Amino acid sequence: MLRIVRCLAGFALLLLTSVSLAQDALTPYRFLLTFIPNIQFAPLYAAIADGHYAALGLDVQIEYLNEPDVIDLVAAEQADFGMVSGEQVILAAARGRPVVYVYEWFQQYPVGVVFDAAADITTPADLAGQRVGIPGRFGASYSGFTALLLAAGMAEDAVQLEEIGFNAPEVFCLGAVDAAVVYINNEPLQIRHLAQAGQCGDVQDVRVLTVASDTPLVSNGLVTHQALIERDPDFVGAAIAAYDAGLKSVIHNPARAYLLSAAFVDTLPLTDALQAVLTEQATAQEAFLATGPDREAIAASRADLLAALRAQFTPAELIQMEVLLASIDLWDADRPGFSDGNGWENMQNTLLAMGLLAEKVNLDRVYSNAFVPATAD
Amino acid sequence: MLQDTHPTISTHPPPKGLAWPRPAGLSRRWLRRLSPLATLLVILAGWHVITARELYPAFIIPPPAAVAQAFAAAVSDGSLLAHTRVTLGEMLGGLFIGVSAGLLVGYAIARLPLLEDLLAPIIVAFQSTPIVAYAPLLIIWFGSGHTAKIVTCAVIVFFPTLMNTIVGVRTVPAALRELMRSLQATPLQVFVKLEVPAALPVLLTGLKTSATLSVIGAVVGEFVSAGDGLGYLVTSSRYEYNTPMVYVAVLTMTALALALYSLVSLLEWRLLAWQRHSHARQS
Repeated sequence: MLRIVRCLAGFALLLLTSVSLAQDALTPYRFLLTFIPNIQFAPLYAAIADGHYAALGLDVQIEYLNEPDVIDLVAAEQADFGMVSGEQVILAAARGRPVVYVYEWFQQYPVGVVFDAAADITTPADLAGQRVGIPGRFGASYSGFTALLLAAGMAEDAVQLEEIGFNAPEVFCLGAVDAAVVYINNEPLQIRHLAQAGQCGDVQDVRVLTVASDTPLVSNGLVTHQALIERDPDFVGAAIAAYDAGLKSVIHNPARAYLLSAAFVDTLPLTDALQAVLTEQATAQEAFLATGPDREAIAASRADLLAALRAQFTPAELIQMEVLLASIDLWDADRPGFSDGNGWENMQNTLLAMGLLAEKVNLDRVYSNAFVPATAD
Repeated sequence: MLQDTHPTISTHPPPKGLAWPRPAGLSRRWLRRLSPLATLLVILAGWHVITARELYPAFIIPPPAAVAQAFAAAVSDGSLLAHTRVTLGEMLGGLFIGVSAGLLVGYAIARLPLLEDLLAPIIVAFQSTPIVAYAPLLIIWFGSGHTAKIVTCAVIVFFPTLMNTIVGVRTVPAALRELMRSLQATPLQVFVKLEVPAALPVLLTGLKTSATLSVIGAVVGEFVSAGDGLGYLVTSSRYEYNTPMVYVAVLTMTALALALYSLVSLLEWRLLAWQRHSHARQS
């Protein structure tokens, strides 16, 4: 009997030691994001939670920085991967940063202009003379808004551009601006939520003019260092495949992604009731996915999920889920990760027109589709 | 070098009753005056070595020559002057409001302890919150123009002025107050003839702190949201990956802070001349 107990104890010790060694064997690995912990980064959270990076021996440690810091840390080989908007990569390359954009996360440019649904605005030309809030005259919002104006044959001084920082919902609802340049998958939902709660002045609802509908532009994606690609292309491919797996899992099963993201985003609304329903929905979606549905059917299942949740929960409880679903609409594509050359050309032309770029850069050195997984699954 | 300049200085002690010759003292004074320049040269040399040996990529630490080139370009196209003017305007506006408010509230608190009991919790709570935490709120409250930056600046300079005013007014010796009372001085006379001169050294120390903090206030406001100013120049240059221009903007902020500090020091030197003369007479 004693021998059996000793054997069991030894086995348990061996098991614990091997688990501990496996965890110790993971290499701490910096992954650079922008903004703050947010449901929009669900693809990375899912990739980590599902063990795609652990399978590569990596213990991913996320850092949230400004875009230029992400670029410079990757360019200085202080980190292998970061997530930035496409125009930043062109500007950085023009200033000698050896970074390469290797995976397009947002398939549609996420910037747009939000305004009161009751306003007499249907085209960018209708913004003439309006007070338009913008985070600042830099970054993706500024480039995107300029592209929107240029496509409409307008100059910047056609509107009253006001720098409002990242405070669009508050400033817009206070009535300090008539419209605001925003990320279309986030702020319009926040403003609509405020409007429905009667906290946005006279505004009852909002509409959005999207940049993507006028001009295809390269958007946010993964960057890495040129030297890493030359030194270890297999690793680059594997790390991108890990992210790709995370992105696809989120597109396919947002309820599950939301639950996984709760471990990374402290402020994510998740009551017990919501958790129970999402768990149930996630399980049902797994069964649905096992039937091999196509992209359209999966998109329809996301709409069904939202309808089911809206029937049971308040807008405040669902706001972040709505942000996730709106984001997925911008990520979903036949071949996630692939970036179109036209988007790069358009972005470069916009930067030239803005005077941010003195001359054209060789775009072949700025981005690569070589590591994008070939098929949707 | 010192021996070349003063070859006749003896190393023997002077005869009793005589002082050491003056030239050595003069040289020491010049050395003290030149020492900041020497520090600057050492920093420049170290910077040059780091960049020449490529210890860091040029996009992290650009060579001094690249920064000088960016500086020349920004001066010649007028952009640096324009941004500096904006930041300086916000600093001076914030200084004026913050210092005035600090002086008024500080004097009132110093004279009315009840007011201190009433206001202290609010003031301390406000001051202990980092300015970057509520700067975005100031943008929402006061709009995206220069007002929000001036208010940010005023808020940050208010507290040192307030504290130094309280300390300054309360350190007026009780004996002197008694003396003024026995001379039947009016409150205005006590204020002008006693409290202001007595508190002035501490007030000016507070003003020096406020002057340097005003740069932080203006730039923090510009970081949150701005279309001009040195804080904006840093942000826009970062987003254009123009690292030399970031250095130019940061060095210009430093120069502004130094200039304001020196200006207040000069003011202090002039206003406290009576104190130096008094000390000289006493010694």
